[in-house]
Amino acid sequence: MFQTFRQSMSWLHTWFGLTLGYVLMVCFFFGALSVFDREIDRWALPDTRFPAQPAPSFDSVLKPIYAQLKPHPVDLAATQARVVGAIPDPNTLPMSSLYYYTTHRDPVLAIGAEFDIPNKPQDASDEHQHVHGWATLDPRTGSFLREGQLKLGSEFFYPMHYSLHLNWMNLGYWVVGLAALVMLAALVSGVVIHKKIFREFFTFRPWKRTQRSSLDLHNLSGVAGLPFHFFFAFTGLVIFASIYLPLAETLLKPLHKQHEVMEAAHTGLAHEPAGVAAPLASVDAMVAEAKRRWAARDMPGEVGYLYINHLGDKNGYVSIFRAGNDQVALVGQGVHFEASSGRVIREDPPPSAVMRVNEFLTGLHLQHFRHWLLRWLYVVGGLLGCVCIATGFIFFVEKRKAQHAKRGSMGSRVVDALAVAAVPGMVIAAVSMLVANRLLPGDMAGKGEWEQNAFWVAWALSFVHAALRNRAVAQAHISPAWREQCLALAALAIAAVGLNWFSTGDHLFKTVFTHTYWPVAGLDLALLAAAAIAGFAARQLAGYARRAAPATAHAPTLSDAEVQHG
Amino acid sequence: MAEPSWVWTLAAVLSTVAGFGWLALAMAVHWQQVHGSGVPPRRALRALGGVALLASALCCAMADRASMAVLVWLMLLAGTAPLIAFTLAWRPQLLRLLWPWGGRRSSPA
Repeated sequence: MFQTFRQSMSWLHTWFGLTLGYVLMVCFFFGALSVFDREIDRWALPDTRFPAQPAPSFDSVLKPIYAQLKPHPVDLAATQARVVGAIPDPNTLPMSSLYYYTTHRDPVLAIGAEFDIPNKPQDASDEHQHVHGWATLDPRTGSFLREGQLKLGSEFFYPMHYSLHLNWMNLGYWVVGLAALVMLAALVSGVVIHKKIFREFFTFRPWKRTQRSSLDLHNLSGVAGLPFHFFFAFTGLVIFASIYLPLAETLLKPLHKQHEVMEAAHTGLAHEPAGVAAPLASVDAMVAEAKRRWAARDMPGEVGYLYINHLGDKNGYVSIFRAGNDQVALVGQGVHFEASSGRVIREDPPPSAVMRVNEFLTGLHLQHFRHWLLRWLYVVGGLLGCVCIATGFIFFVEKRKAQHAKRGSMGSRVVDALAVAAVPGMVIAAVSMLVANRLLPGDMAGKGEWEQNAFWVAWALSFVHAALRNRAVAQAHISPAWREQCLALAALAIAAVGLNWFSTGDHLFKTVFTHTYWPVAGLDLALLAAAAIAGFAARQLAGYARRAAPATAHAPTLSDAEVQHG
Repeated sequence: MAEPSWVWTLAAVLSTVAGFGWLALAMAVHWQQVHGSGVPPRRALRALGGVALLASALCCAMADRASMAVLVWLMLLAGTAPLIAFTLAWRPQLLRLLWPWGGRRSSPA
């Protein structure tokens, strides 16, 4: 089929890149936003604009809050569908375990718990007999955040980049997994077809034809970001390995169960409750002891993750993990206590080499460490990925649109409309969501739903606009939709910054200078930067259009237009 | 640690920029973008560039734990290469700061 290895790689790169490039664009862009998911949450939830803080006292603040926590209606409904008979009144279900998780960037605290249910499962092999409850609280007051609010960063943009919000049968995870696999293939095949990796390492010639300069930019962003692109596609697959290869749930289930039991015997952390009631000793004292042990090992730190299992039972235990501010691993150095006495059962030994590699791979992707430069470099890496994919689309269209124009084929038009929706359109959708967040009243019921509607509607409109406006591509020109959507994006981004100012009083002078609050200032500045770049791009595109216009005015035939593009 | 870690991080950033700048100048085509004419002192620039990139790796290692330093260094490389490419495309004269000698117009613009 192909004369050379390079030709076959080129085919693979072109067609796999084109078909899954749209998905990868979503992964990279929303992944880049997820680097600052907590900061975006602060912008979207003005009540939570206060400094990040360590978890408050368990005994005096958190214990009474956990007592108020109830099974979440969403999980109740999902669980009801899997069990025989009606689940009893959720207020009567006993809490069997609880947790909280926090990082150095969290002012609010995410908590959760599992509640036992007496119902039998419909499927005998389903062993998950719990319903879950979760909530976010303001640790200064101990009050829950209002229901119905959406944390735009951590609850929408972040899951978008790995699940596409396609939750039916985990479809989104599978599509993204396939895209990540294709990304790895595209990187390898890209290196094979590039030829001049080192000779053109710094090459970017914006003065050349669009086809050439977009290929320059494609190569530049692809090669410079190669380690980043490779590692993020790869570690993304590692993180969800248990979804893609669910061995512990299928083929190796008996072995997995056996391993759990043996591990419990080995660590002394009971696998099952004893069935004997027991009180809970002071958790604050256990936290203090864990901190003392970390300090003694010359790695002082705060609690990142706290977990109590078999609540109220004699076999209950409390596991306290250190937040990984200064390490790539998310949390570590666990210390485990007997819940009833506060006696230390076990201090985790240093992880094995395999665990260490796993922690490094997942940690470098999920990044809960404290390193602002690296965080921003990740954003740069993610945006380089977007540039690489976007210029790939542009190169595809530029290379073919003249031929397509001659043959009357619609191919380039379809690709171009999708590319407009995937590049400026996707950013427009995200910024529209921020605008909707500031326009809708804070106490509106189901506000989060409306924000999501704004996102999807804006994105759909962008695609419709791009499809209606791109007749120019059929004449081998650049679609005016690119310029128009860049202008719309610039206007929306400026509007978002303005609306944040008017609705909360947090203007940039205040958030940068007088009452410095970087999470909000950072997003405002990023929005202004996006507006500037979009405005610049629109101006450049207008320049191209003007230069191309006189030619089509006197000779609007396809064969003439063919030579005019660029 | 005598110096705070941000000093090392800053040093790492600067030496990465300089390192990639020198490596770019070692290529004839980029040398001419910067200096207008002549040929680059290839060996000296390449050696300088290589040493600067090594130095930036060492600075990263001084600033953070090894596992973190690897990430910072690789991402610095990823972020800096396009920076140099864009400078060459739009403001090539700036790179004369890294090597002011050579070409017909030898004074920095």
